[in-house]
Amino acid sequence: MPKVVIDGEVLEVAAGTTILQAALTVGREIPHYCYHPGLSIAGNCRMCLVEVEKAPKLVIGCYSPVADGMVVHTDSAKVKEARSAMMEFFLINHPLDCPICDQAGECRLQEYSVEHGGGASRYTEPKRALAKAVDIGRHVMLDQERCIQCSRCIRFCDEVTQTSELDFFQRGERSQIGIFPGKRLDNAYSGNVVDLCPVGALTLKEFRFKTRVWYLKNTPSICGGCARGCNVVVSVGQQQTMMTTRGQLDDRVKRIVPRVNEEVNAHWICDEGRMSYVNEQEAVRLPASRIGGADAPYDAAIAAAAAKLRDAARNGKLGLIASPRTLSEDLFAWGEVVASLGGATRGVRQIVRGENDALLIRADKGANARGAAWIFGAAADETAVMDAVSRGSATTLLVLGDTLDPKDTPTLPPAAQGRVEVIFAGPFVSGAAERAAVAIPSASWSEADGTYVNFEGRAQRVRRCHLPLGEARPGWRIALDVAAAAGAPVPAWGNADDVLRALAASVKEFEGVTVEAMGLLGVPMPVSSGV
Amino acid sequence: MERILTRNVDNAEALTLHGYEASGGYRALRKAVSSMTPDAVTDEVKKSGLRGRGGAGFPCGLKWSFMPKEVDSRRPHYFLINADESEPGTFKDRLLMEKDPHLVLEGSLLGAYAIRAKAVYIYIRGEFVYATQVLMRAVAEAYARNYAGANILGSGWSCELIVHRGAGAYICGEETALMSSLEGNRGYPRLKPPFPAASGVWGCPTTINNVETVANVPFIIERGADWYLTVGKPPKNTGPKLYCLSGHVKRPGVYEAPLGLPMKELIYELGGGMLDDDRPLKAVIPGGSSVPVLRAEDCDVDLDFDSLAAKGTMLGSAGIMVMDQSTCMVAAMARIAHFYHHESCGQCTPCREGCGWLERVLNRIEAGNGMSQDLDLLLSVSNNIIGNTICALGDAAAMPMISFVTAFRDEFQHHIDHRSCLTGTRALQGVR
Repeated sequence: MPKVVIDGEVLEVAAGTTILQAALTVGREIPHYCYHPGLSIAGNCRMCLVEVEKAPKLVIGCYSPVADGMVVHTDSAKVKEARSAMMEFFLINHPLDCPICDQAGECRLQEYSVEHGGGASRYTEPKRALAKAVDIGRHVMLDQERCIQCSRCIRFCDEVTQTSELDFFQRGERSQIGIFPGKRLDNAYSGNVVDLCPVGALTLKEFRFKTRVWYLKNTPSICGGCARGCNVVVSVGQQQTMMTTRGQLDDRVKRIVPRVNEEVNAHWICDEGRMSYVNEQEAVRLPASRIGGADAPYDAAIAAAAAKLRDAARNGKLGLIASPRTLSEDLFAWGEVVASLGGATRGVRQIVRGENDALLIRADKGANARGAAWIFGAAADETAVMDAVSRGSATTLLVLGDTLDPKDTPTLPPAAQGRVEVIFAGPFVSGAAERAAVAIPSASWSEADGTYVNFEGRAQRVRRCHLPLGEARPGWRIALDVAAAAGAPVPAWGNADDVLRALAASVKEFEGVTVEAMGLLGVPMPVSSGV
Repeated sequence: MERILTRNVDNAEALTLHGYEASGGYRALRKAVSSMTPDAVTDEVKKSGLRGRGGAGFPCGLKWSFMPKEVDSRRPHYFLINADESEPGTFKDRLLMEKDPHLVLEGSLLGAYAIRAKAVYIYIRGEFVYATQVLMRAVAEAYARNYAGANILGSGWSCELIVHRGAGAYICGEETALMSSLEGNRGYPRLKPPFPAASGVWGCPTTINNVETVANVPFIIERGADWYLTVGKPPKNTGPKLYCLSGHVKRPGVYEAPLGLPMKELIYELGGGMLDDDRPLKAVIPGGSSVPVLRAEDCDVDLDFDSLAAKGTMLGSAGIMVMDQSTCMVAAMARIAHFYHHESCGQCTPCREGCGWLERVLNRIEAGNGMSQDLDLLLSVSNNIIGNTICALGDAAAMPMISFVTAFRDEFQHHIDHRSCLTGTRALQGVR
């Protein structure tokens, strides 16, 4: 392995490692714009120029491989001068419209200006004036003036989605990012170009002008959109100084961006997952508990549900249908409670839409389909429960509603309607909720801690990103309240982590799954023992 | 003096294959493919000391020797001819292509043979419509006589000959941008390494030479490297050279002379002297617009690679631009800056942003709106471009700027201080 010296620190790295990557291993970030670990190397921004002893000029760290005996300076006077020069070049034609730019606060131009910029401008000529709001796709807006022409977005569309909608047009200082005639940036992953853009040139229609990024609270979590389980960061509003007109903190989800996990989603997420919070916010939430369609106090609803579930379970007439997006903890808790009441015919719905694509998207939309199969058994599917309903051997149905997409909430077969009594626990108003004898609001995907297991058997931590709306409670908590009201034994679980510990002790596929083991990147479990 | 490269320039017959053969043409190619190995051709060229005529002066035989000795059938070798002659002040390759196209083809085929190429691509500047037509005719003739195509002259070696027109971009004369363009992509220079011999066009081993460079090769092969070494200033500046003389001289044009021709001899004897005898020499750009300018007192210099390098400038493409005392150096530089601003490909930051900045500042000074800090600014911006770009275009824009401002600072300063031109020939428009 080549031995190199970077700023006096001797390190050994694998042959072929670039100077930029080698420096990262010792915690030195060489400033860069065009370099991105998920894309090919362009070498065009010239921000990562570093000094290599004996080389005639500065070299770009993103492209130059280390060589044995190489001595690199990332902070010499020459390097500093070059960086400062590049910052000046970037800014001479940049509009500096930071006050109204969505990128402000997380903009590499701003950050590197602070660290490497000159402070004052020597440019007294007129700046280049270009289009400020070009609608290039379903989700993406382009500001030509802010673009620093790093070509990350072009390379993404060429290399990752291989759809090639974008390119440079014109030449030299007149060149601009643009979309090919007749095309739109409408590929299934278009939102990633916004994350990739180191400046405010590409913005997301759903996020632009909505908030300042410094008012966001960011929580690492897992996308609930399909069985891939992409790692994401969920940002919610937490505006401290300006209350909304409703007199509440505006703490709803403002955006979802990918979080790097090379084992799962690398650097990307699909647009559907990115926009899932919009669906969720447009759906009608179940604001409070209901008995027979009328609002009722939570305790009364719990008592009514407990009585009905207990009676049905005792008579062997209880069915349970769960969404494949239900958190493992909720499934386990409900399973335990129902078992203690006398048991039920259990089934997990399948939600299959479209096809697996070559990148991330899975046809199986059950974010926790594998976890559910581990907890309820592979044979527990929806048809078994529906058959029992049709045969009349299940007269009471506990429906655990969808946490993410209310349109996917199950509809009962016409034959069963009127013959079957539904107890519903879920976040959204749906067909099942409206018909339910008892409906109890539960926390949605962004409102509760828990565990998803993706299609490859990787257990990953879903995090509560903000407080649940209204009376909604985590599913496992509702299950415990039902157990208490039914006079059944109540496990001593104080939070979702306690439930997980019990789950890991009881279901062998979850053995070893702990919050600590999952960390930020999840833990791969052996899948042969599962489905 | 014997005219070598330009021997057929006044011979209209040479435009046809028959006429070219009658002048001794294609003897070198016959000799090479019948009695020399590719490596022997390379060795002969190496021995001759021939240096690239495109601008950098890199030894031609050495460049060829970088190519793999064996051909991997999945990665054929390509020989590219850079006929994108676009450097301001340069018009020698056009002359060769228009007047002696078969010489260019023969030299190209010799190079292709030496590097075991499967095809020659002649990437010709799009504006050279006539030269393209002449070359295309010559290519058809060469195919008909089996100087190109399958099993050339029964040697067992096959090579295609393809003329490809550029679409009008200076940057496509940069060798790797040329390759990108040839592949159908944007004319963007590539990061180096890999160098073309390792991975060039379509990722295959590639050699690229200037038109004039390969035009030397038939003579080296036919007459031998030892003869070639007697021409010019051996050992490092050998062979005949085409000089493009333009500007304030009585007889501008292309002149052939052995490398090392004294500049004064070119201007005052071959070129017939200054255009107006009352307006003496002021400055010369000796190698195309991208090289540093020389003041008149520095013009006692031989026109070869090393003599000009010793003066801090370059032979470049041998575009010798002569300026007399009536020339406003600010206006001259502003025009050069405009060219590089217009032609920067925009791929990398310093050149894309810097070239426009330089031109704007210069235009302001030229218009009489200069500010006291502008000259230092021009130098600083130029220095921030030099060495920090992907290709040499940034350097090409910055080097003349630095040399103009340094060598003629008094003139630039006068524009700023007095809002008028030191040459007294023009009134400035400036308002403040």
